[in-house]
Amino acid sequence: MQLAAHATLKNSDSANIIALSSTALALPGIALADAPPTQSTASYKLSNYQEDDLSRSEVPSGELNRYDIDVHQFQLVAPMGRNMSVHVDANYESLSGASPWFTSVGLDGKPVVNLSGASGISDSRSELSVGTRYYLDNGSFAGNIGYSEENDYRAVYFGLNGERHYNDDLTTLAGGFSYSSDDIFPTDAALFNRVRDEDKRSSSVFVSLTQIINQVSSFQTALSFTEQSGFLSDPYKLRDVRPEDKTQIAWSNSYRRFFVAANAALHVNYRFYHDDFGINSHTSDVSWHQNLGRQFQIVPQLRYYSQSAADFFTNVDDFLNPLSEYQSSDYRLSAFGAISGGFSLIADMGSWKATLTAERYLANDKYSAYDISQPSTALVKYNRLSLGVDFSF
Amino acid sequence: MKQLRTALLLLSCSIIPISCADVRAWERGYLARDEMTWDPDPLESALNDHIFFSKEASSGGNSAAGGGCGCN
Repeated sequence: MQLAAHATLKNSDSANIIALSSTALALPGIALADAPPTQSTASYKLSNYQEDDLSRSEVPSGELNRYDIDVHQFQLVAPMGRNMSVHVDANYESLSGASPWFTSVGLDGKPVVNLSGASGISDSRSELSVGTRYYLDNGSFAGNIGYSEENDYRAVYFGLNGERHYNDDLTTLAGGFSYSSDDIFPTDAALFNRVRDEDKRSSSVFVSLTQIINQVSSFQTALSFTEQSGFLSDPYKLRDVRPEDKTQIAWSNSYRRFFVAANAALHVNYRFYHDDFGINSHTSDVSWHQNLGRQFQIVPQLRYYSQSAADFFTNVDDFLNPLSEYQSSDYRLSAFGAISGGFSLIADMGSWKATLTAERYLANDKYSAYDISQPSTALVKYNRLSLGVDFSF
Repeated sequence: MKQLRTALLLLSCSIIPISCADVRAWERGYLARDEMTWDPDPLESALNDHIFFSKEASSGGNSAAGGGCGCN
C-alpha cells in the first residue's frame, strides 16, 4: 500500500519536508501498515513460471515436460471510515504438465522418476480472501477469512493478528493466529485406487519483534509455530505414506538499511526452519533497491535455500514395505539446495506503478549445505516472469 | 508499563548486534520510504511464498500460515 504521504516523501529532495512529513505522520515501527490508507489502491499481477523439461536419463519413458503455471493476482486495499481499512485478495492459477508418480532404479543403477499423466495434467485454483484492519493510536489489529478451491482440493481459513508499538514507537510487538480446514478429494480415485475424501487441519501462531536501530536501519525477528494434522501424504503418488501430524517451527530475521549516498535500500533476510518430519532448512536472501531518479527503481535479488531430508525419504520407492511404514520419494522431502536470482524494474508514475520481474530458480543436490545420503532425481528448475500494475485513487 | 517498555527495549537491543539509537519521529524519513518497508510488494511476496511452498519443504516465519493448497 502506497500512501500519498509516502509518495510525497519519495518525490521530495528536501530534508525539511521529509522531517515535517514524518513528524506529521508520527511514523511508528513500520513493521506493517501503521496508519489507515488515505486512498484506495488496486493491484494486479500476472505471472508465468515454467519448469524445465526433465532429461531422458531421469525419465525412462513418456513425456519430459513438467508444469507450466499462470498466476493472476488481484488486490484491493481501501480506507473504510477514519480508523479502518478493507482488503480483498483474489487469485486464479492454472497449470498443465506432468508430476512425479513413483521412482525406480534405472538401467545405470541410478534412481529415475516415472511421471503421471503422460498426456498432461491440467488443474486450476481459485482463491478469495477478505480482511479488515482497525487502527489504534499505538497499534492495530486485523482479521481475514479466505476460501480456496481446486479440482481436487478445498481450503477454508481465517486469521487474526495485531501489533502494538512501544518506546516512542521504536519497538513493535506483533502476534497472530490462523486456522485452515482443508479437504482433499483426488481425481480418478477409483481408477487408480487413491483415497476418496480426506481432510487436514493447520493451526499457526506467530510473534514478532521489530526494532528501529537508527535513522537508516531497522531489524525484525519473528517466530512461528504451525501444527498440521490429518492426511499429509501425496494422494497422487503410487507409494507415499507420511505421518498424520507435523509440527513446524520457523525463526526469521530481517534487516533493512538505507544508504543515503547511494539512494538505495538493502534488504537482508534469514530463516531457520525445523519440523518433526526431520527436516531442517536455512533460507537467506538479499536484495538491493536502487532508486534511479524519482520514477524508476531496479531491484536485483539473490536467494539461497538448503534443506535436509525427511527421516522417511527414499529416492527409490520400495513397494515391499508394509503400508504402516512411512515412506516418500517426493523430491521436496529430499536433501537439496537451491539458488535463485532475479531482478525487478519498477516505474512509479504517481497514481500508476508498474513492476516487471524476471527470476531463475535452480535446485540441485550439489548446492546442499547438508550431507546427502540419497540424492533425489527430478529436482526443479524454472523461469518466472511477472508483470504487476498498481493504481491508486 | 514502564518496566514492560524497558524490558522490551533491552530484549530487542540484546538480540541486535548494534546499539539502538533514540530516533525521534522527525528523524524517521528514510525509514518511512517505500523501499524500506518490510514488504514493499505484497503481491510479489505472496507469490514467492506460494511458489516456494510448492517446491520446498519449509514455510512460515514472520506471519501465520494462510490456507493450504494441493500443491504440497
